[in-house]
Formats: sequence, structure tokens, C-alpha cells
Amino acid sequence: MRHDSMMKRRGFLKAASRGVGTLALGTVALSSTSKGLADSGKAPNPFAVELDHLRKVDPKLVLYETANLFPGRQTEPRRFCAAANGLLYVAGGKAVRILDLSGSEVRSIPCPDSVRAVAVAPDGLIYAAMSDHVEVFDAEGKPVSTWTSPGEKAWFSGLAAGKDDVYAADAGNRVVWRYDRKGQVRNRIGVKDAARGVPGLVVPSPYLQVALGRDGLLRVNNSGRHQIEVYTPEGDLEFHWGKAGGSIEGFCGCCNPIGFALLPDGRHLTCEKGVPRVKIYSAQGEFEGVVATPDLFPENSRPGQPRRSDGMLGGLDATVDAAGVIYVMDLVTGEIRSMKLKAPAPGTTAPQFKKEKA
Amino acid sequence: MSTGASSGGPVNRRHFLRQGARTAALAGGGVLLGLLVGRTSARGTVWQIDPQKCVRCGNCATSCVLKQSAVKCVHAFSMCGYCQLCTGYFEPAPNDLNTGAENCQCPTAAIRRTYVEDPYYEYTIDERLCIGCAKCVEGCNQFGNGSLFLQIRHDRCLNCNECAIAKVCAGDAFRRVPVNQPYLLKAISH
Repeated sequence: MRHDSMMKRRGFLKAASRGVGTLALGTVALSSTSKGLADSGKAPNPFAVELDHLRKVDPKLVLYETANLFPGRQTEPRRFCAAANGLLYVAGGKAVRILDLSGSEVRSIPCPDSVRAVAVAPDGLIYAAMSDHVEVFDAEGKPVSTWTSPGEKAWFSGLAAGKDDVYAADAGNRVVWRYDRKGQVRNRIGVKDAARGVPGLVVPSPYLQVALGRDGLLRVNNSGRHQIEVYTPEGDLEFHWGKAGGSIEGFCGCCNPIGFALLPDGRHLTCEKGVPRVKIYSAQGEFEGVVATPDLFPENSRPGQPRRSDGMLGGLDATVDAAGVIYVMDLVTGEIRSMKLKAPAPGTTAPQFKKEKA
Repeated sequence: MSTGASSGGPVNRRHFLRQGARTAALAGGGVLLGLLVGRTSARGTVWQIDPQKCVRCGNCATSCVLKQSAVKCVHAFSMCGYCQLCTGYFEPAPNDLNTGAENCQCPTAAIRRTYVEDPYYEYTIDERLCIGCAKCVEGCNQFGNGSLFLQIRHDRCLNCNECAIAKVCAGDAFRRVPVNQPYLLKAISH
């Protein structure tokens, strides 16, 4: 009996230790399962929008590389331009920041409202677009005048200044206003007019841009039609180019290009959002190559990033200085990078561009 | 005594049972009232998604305790560009701009595309079909103005104490909002 009793106790202890072991294993298993469930937010998204195929660029098409990268020193950057005096003017926040070409701040011009675009006339006057009107400053940044707003609907998003005229791209009214240098409206460009063969500007998001070429013609991005349109200052549509599509030659998404600039020889730089990239086209719109690839702008192209509400705080902008150097600004990070032509690979020659009339 | 006791006994028991029933009814009513009050005014909040924090992780479609998620895509028309090539409706690089399934983002065909005038189209959500997967929301945010976004629809939501989607939300976008302002709508700032 005693022997049996001892065996029973031993058996009991064995069974108990087995039970405790099983319980511990079960607890570990359960906690890891719970952790797995809790971590399920990190599981691959079965509904992800696949954009990788659009973000990949054939390296042979990439003609430029980054020469220098510096902060734009601007909160909420919008547009920027390189002036003939060798300075960069960055619009954003409630100021125009003036930088030298290495990124050092030279001056800052405080403005009464958020600055949406900036342009510098050949005589040095600085034009800064607020959301609904233009402020004028002299070359030192002293206020000169405030122009009348074209109305509540105005949403300026681009500026160009010539010798006699200033052009303000108004995304809200889907029009480019042509002002004289005193701020009087001379005419409107881009208004739908079947008789003149003008299809009308389609501006789904507030990224309307305007540039004045050395040929005296205006370039305007009709992003809803995925085109660049070329107008006379009087508003006659000369020609247009560009097509929608995911291929590298086309403009992707709903509404691109969101920005562009002209090289001294008349070629176009185009900036896209969604798949942030900068490309170069001939003056007639033939695709020539890629200046900046989406991988240079990881924050700009990160899927699932929260978006601020006014729709114009993403994407890229570009400008070209008098020497033809290209600058690209990331509107998410505010960084500016200057670009230089890549050295040709051994055994190849540098890309040859067709000479265009300036 | 015995009569009194015998006559008083049943009366007391009846009385006791009556009182007990009344007490139980009152207690039950109190609990019910407490629950109702808890779901509305006392706690006074319901779950909602902050569209500025939403990262379109897809968990709204798969983690709700309901068979079809209470999260739906909603559309802020004031922010919409009425694009011909809407990247909420179409794949980013569609073969063609038609309703072919291979060209469309929505896995349940819950978005209706209606011609307005050249080149504008209006996009509306059929909430009976929407599963809250946010595919259209991501497409709209990547390329467009972000006018499509997710919201919990309170005609369906059970307002669980511990929301199953909130537990796994990758953007930490779920929060409780006052019951008298149950939606967090997007609007364009000029």
C-alpha cells in the first residue's frame, strides 16, 4: 500500500509537471498567436495599389545625376525660379526665400499670405503670387504694390514675368491672366473658345503653371489633358504636345505634368506627381530622356502617406538658371537638387540633342 | 397564530415575490437604460477615422466584426477634379478609359462613373458594394486631390467598446468623436 501510495504521488507529480509544461507551452503559443494577430496591421495589404512598374526607369534613359543637394529653407514650398542674377527664389510659407546657387540664404521677403509662386522680371522686380493676388517687390525686397484680385475663385499657382507683361496662372479660374507691368489685366489665355480652337484648360488639382519662352510664346500645362500647350500672348493656341500613359514618354495619373520649365534652347523639363519624376522633351515635345527618377524622392513617392488638405503640397517643381543648370525641388521635403549631365559610359558617347531654335 | 402565520406566510411570500419581480424589473430596466446611456450621451462618443491619418492599409476591409465592413469610401465632391482619368476609379495606367474590370481599381465595382461634360466625369460610391478596402482612396491620394476617403458609417457600425479595426489600424487613425459630430470630413483649404 505504501509503495502504491508513493507511486501515486510520483505519478501525480509527473502528471502535474507535464500539465504545467503543457500550460506554459500553451501560454507561449497563445501569446505568440495574439501577437501575430495584433501585428496583422503590418501584414501585406491585399488591396495595395501597384505602382512599382511605373517607378522603375530604364537606366539607359537617365541622362542626369545629382550634382548638389541642399535644403530649400522654406516651409510648405510651392514653386521656385532661378533669376538672371544667379539667385534662386523659393515660394512657400509666408515669405519668398532668396538663395544663392549653393543653397545659402541671401534674403527673405515676408509676405502677407502664403506664397504660391514667384517670378523675377528682367529688370529685377520680384512678383510673388498669393492665393488670389500678386504682390510686387523691388530687387531688395521692399514692397512696391499690391495688385487687385480677380475674385474669390482665384487660386494662383504659377507666374512668369517678361519685359512688358506678367502672366499669372490661376488654377481656380482655369485661366492665365496677362497683366501689364502695372497690374492691369490685358487679356485672358486658355479660356475655352471653340471658334479659336482653344479646348480650355482642365485643372483637376491646383498646379497650373506658365512659362515664357525666348521665342515670346507662352507654355501652359493643361494637366487634365496631359499636355503642354503653346500660346501667343494674345491667347491663340499655336500647338500642343503630350499624352497620357504609364510609359516613360507619357504623363501618368489623372493630371500631369504639374510643373515644367524651359531650357535656354527651348527644350522642356516636366515634373510629375504620383510617380515623381522629371523628364526632358524637345521644343516640339519629343521625349529625350529622364532628368530625375522617382527613387530620388522616396518621401514624395511613399504610398499611404497622409496628405495635407490643400492638394498642392506634393510633387516636384523645376527651374533652369541662365547657364542651363537644372534645379529640382521636392515639394514634400523642401530639398533642392541641382542636376548635371551624366558622364557617358565607357565606349559610348554623350547624348546628342537635336538643336532647337531658341 | 398558526392561522395568522399560515395566512400571513403566503401573503408575505407573494409580497416578497411581487417585490422581487419589481426589483428585478427595475434592475433590468436600469441596466438597459445604463447601456443605452452608455452608448449615447454618457460616454457620448462613437468611433471614426481621421482621414488625415489614414494610410490606406486595407485593414478596414478585413478586420471589422461585421461580415461587410462598416467602413465605406465617401467622396468630398468639393475637392474632386472630376477627372476623365480618375486614378481612384481607373488603374494608374489603364489600357483604356472604359469600365472593363482590368482597367478599374475597385474590386467590387462600387464606384459609378457618370459623364458630366467634356472632359469631366462624376464618381459616386455605391455603399452596398463598398467594402472599405481603400484602393480607390490610395489611387486618388497618390495622383489626385484626395477627395475619396474612408469613414465609418454609423447606420452600420456597432460602436464596439474595443473596435477590432482600431486595434490593427496601421496609421493609428481611429479615434472616438462626439456622437453629435460623428464624421470627420475632408475639405479643401484655399
